[in-house]
Amino acid sequence: MAKARTDLMQGTLELLILKTLARESLHGYGIVQRIHETAEDLLKVEDGSLYPALYRMQERGWIKSEWGVSENNRRARFYKLTRAGQKQLERERANWERVSKAISRILQTT
Amino acid sequence: MNDLLTRLRHRFQPGTIELEVDEELRHHFDLLLREYMQKGMSHEEAFAATLKRFGNFNRFKNECVTICRRTRPLQRAFKIFLILLALTGLIVRALNTDFHVARIGDMLIMVAVACRLLLYVRSLSPSRFLPKNKTSSFSIFS
Repeated sequence: MAKARTDLMQGTLELLILKTLARESLHGYGIVQRIHETAEDLLKVEDGSLYPALYRMQERGWIKSEWGVSENNRRARFYKLTRAGQKQLERERANWERVSKAISRILQTT
Repeated sequence: MNDLLTRLRHRFQPGTIELEVDEELRHHFDLLLREYMQKGMSHEEAFAATLKRFGNFNRFKNECVTICRRTRPLQRAFKIFLILLALTGLIVRALNTDFHVARIGDMLIMVAVACRLLLYVRSLSPSRFLPKNKTSSFSIFS
């Protein structure tokens, strides 16, 4: 059966990035790959849209970056979570659980 | 420390922001292209698939450059200082009827406006005045 790919809800990308970077530091391509692998290709992420989100998150101090060498021996910017980012991840996760619970309840009512 | 060095480099070489963002996005684009080619696509097919999956390269690049520029703390502090300077000038101008004091108010406003204009001109990327294929190796995105 073909899988239907779903567009990400506004603001969800940041949560996914935070969660992905909580495990290890990665460059942009690595982050997208990890999201696709974990979501088993069910989510549709336009790869380029990751970067404005990463830059905004860096501006807010949730992540920081430094240049390193990638697996193909090229210079790449690697991102990692800061302490503020870990706290933000907890907040966003709690918020997501609250919202999804509320939506589920509404959908279950007849 | 790395962060500080990067900020200083960006401060004294405004074009580096654009080059670094371009390099970062291009790296991702090349890895995607390689991924599709490893799946057996021809270069043309892989390129089309990469373009589709990546989205609008130039739009994302410009968004990143804009975010980078506004995050410079020194520049942000200076902009706030200029607003305060202009406000002080306006207050001095409004509250004093003495000709000489009112001139000081005018001077403060003029200095603030001139500095803000200079900041704006500096923020214009030098690459805007170059042919587009000089800023990115992907001339197809221009």
